[in-house]
Amino acid sequence: MAAGAAGRGLTNREGHADFDIVWPWTEPGGLRPGSTAVLRVKDEALSLPWVLPPLLRSMDEVLVVDNGSTDGTADVARAVADEMGPVAAARLRLASYPFDVARAGAEHLAVHELSVHSLAYFYNWCFAQVRTRYSFKWDGDMVLTTEGESSLADLAWQVGDVQSIIRVPRHALYLDSARPDRAWLDLGLRNAEEWGFPMGPDFVFTKAYEWEVRTTPQPVRTIGLPFGLCVELKYLDGDEFAHWTDPESFATSVRNKRKRREWEVFTALQADPDAVLAGVHRIDAPPGVHVVDHVTRTWLPQAPRPLEVGTVVISDDRLR
Amino acid sequence: MSDPRAVDPAVDPDAYPRKVLFVAGAGRSGTSTMAGLMQILGLHVPRPEVPADASNPKGFSEPQWVVDHHDRLLREANVQVSDSRPDAWFETGRVSTREPERIATAEWLEGHFAVNSELVVKDPRLSWFLALWRVAAIRTQATPVFAAMLRPPAEVVGSKQNYYANTLGSAHLTASWLNMLLHTERGTRESAASGGRVFVRYADLLDDWTRTTMHVGETLGLQHVLHADSERIRDGHRFVDPSLRRMGQSLDDLALPPRLHELTAETWTVLNRLADPGGDTPDEHATLDELRAAYTDLYAEAEAISRSSVVAAEHRVRRAAQRPGQGSGAGAARPAPSAAPDHAPDHAADRIPHGLRAAVPAPVRRGLRRLAGRERR
Repeated sequence: MAAGAAGRGLTNREGHADFDIVWPWTEPGGLRPGSTAVLRVKDEALSLPWVLPPLLRSMDEVLVVDNGSTDGTADVARAVADEMGPVAAARLRLASYPFDVARAGAEHLAVHELSVHSLAYFYNWCFAQVRTRYSFKWDGDMVLTTEGESSLADLAWQVGDVQSIIRVPRHALYLDSARPDRAWLDLGLRNAEEWGFPMGPDFVFTKAYEWEVRTTPQPVRTIGLPFGLCVELKYLDGDEFAHWTDPESFATSVRNKRKRREWEVFTALQADPDAVLAGVHRIDAPPGVHVVDHVTRTWLPQAPRPLEVGTVVISDDRLR
Repeated sequence: MSDPRAVDPAVDPDAYPRKVLFVAGAGRSGTSTMAGLMQILGLHVPRPEVPADASNPKGFSEPQWVVDHHDRLLREANVQVSDSRPDAWFETGRVSTREPERIATAEWLEGHFAVNSELVVKDPRLSWFLALWRVAAIRTQATPVFAAMLRPPAEVVGSKQNYYANTLGSAHLTASWLNMLLHTERGTRESAASGGRVFVRYADLLDDWTRTTMHVGETLGLQHVLHADSERIRDGHRFVDPSLRRMGQSLDDLALPPRLHELTAETWTVLNRLADPGGDTPDEHATLDELRAAYTDLYAEAEAISRSSVVAAEHRVRRAAQRPGQGSGAGAARPAPSAAPDHAPDHAADRIPHGLRAAVPAPVRRGLRRLAGRERR
């Protein structure tokens, strides 16, 4: 992939010329200042009303790439942005990627990275649509707290042309659709992945064992935000592991500790919501307030600092 | 009661919602006058304050803790008060993400809400740390609001040269002004839509401070201003001295490089429009984005062609660091005035103009620090 990054773009093995990749920094005029959040989404209609508003307030552009949703995800994204007014509406850009993308784990490993079905190719195509000099990879279920929104909004312009990666810790928030006033927040996991990257040939996606990884030059600067600024919504009555080939795919490697912790908490809460694991907080919202709003606007912003975050679980990002 | 800013005058001031007014902008732009007036009208400047001196005989209205806090953070970020590097904003932003600094800042703020629910925080270094203060406000359940002071850049530069005996040159000071104002606007923009920021011309404040502060109070919902009594208003008149604005030079007097002159003039014109009622609009923000990008490009070009100066400065510092006992002595490097008016340079490296120092590649800087025994943790 490195050779491809140095050139004008990438050509996929299937011959879908309309989905070949042209690196945006090679386009006339280059990239403009600013930051773009890139969300690759499939059936995230439920989460986007919480995910998008903080991003639309803090980023110069939010690019939502729909990958075969059947729940009206794209329509919901547009409706959320329109409801926020013309400035936010102008910041949302929608795109569609029509190919099935390999699930993380064994299925991903079997696919060539220049296939339109590869996670690496999919990510490269998504980020090739970015027109700003900095980018944030973002998930369709990641919700910023009030402080998280403020922090990201500042870094989004402060980063300028600095070649630095930004790490954003996130905490899983387990939801029960039947109880909008209750959730379980997992602070037992210490997890700070790399989400912000400069745009350019040094920072493109390539293939790792279970999923994609973004290339970086050596040495590279990284900075990290504090804990408690972002939650990741997990629906106890949903299929939260559908993007994985099977649980065996994250059963052994140290790389997959986070996923194993999620599996452990998810299955435990499904079995008995009152049997809360160590590090997991059951949170009840006041009457009339949805628990996601309560957690992101009140509970986490007002939680004592430094936030008590439990068991250390390293990911390869922390090796930097 | 349809106006959300209105309150029942009978309401106890202790019941006013928590609010912090951050008075931002370049030094010598009337920030002390604005903060001083807010203090007179009933907002609280946390104590102890920086004592008045000859450069500002009516006082600074600056909390000493804030000044010390910012000085330390600027040193850690390797940024000067008057720093013209666009990248310097990331350096202070990076420091502002640190949890211990967020905790310390929020705890300090929380302590002063016990005195008054409406606080004023002002310091010429403040713009570098608006992100940190916004987080502190969030953590203390307060609303952060911003007043950015505007004064013609030629007057600011002239005033700085007068009061701080700054001999770094008008181009450097003008570039620093441009860098600070363009990014202060960007750093407070997210509060514009909710009525959380206001731009104030220093000239307007001196011309008719009652009209100007009422506009600030109404825009930002400052209850103490909206309900100030007659005695406080009399004190305001005793405080404001229209003759404070003593500088009268124009940009032409500064003999700036043409592109810098052009960018500064245009930025000043657009910022002025933000101070007009209803002038803080997305169209103006877009123009300022273009100006910010143009300044960033200009700085990058200047930096790219001044490599020889950087290498020469680097060699001087290296030689100074290698001479035993002369690492911080006079003559270790050719002395150059510091851009920061607030503290004398302690080290040879500090005597090199910050712009040159900043242009030294990070690995080389680290090596030099190691040689000088000034490694960072």
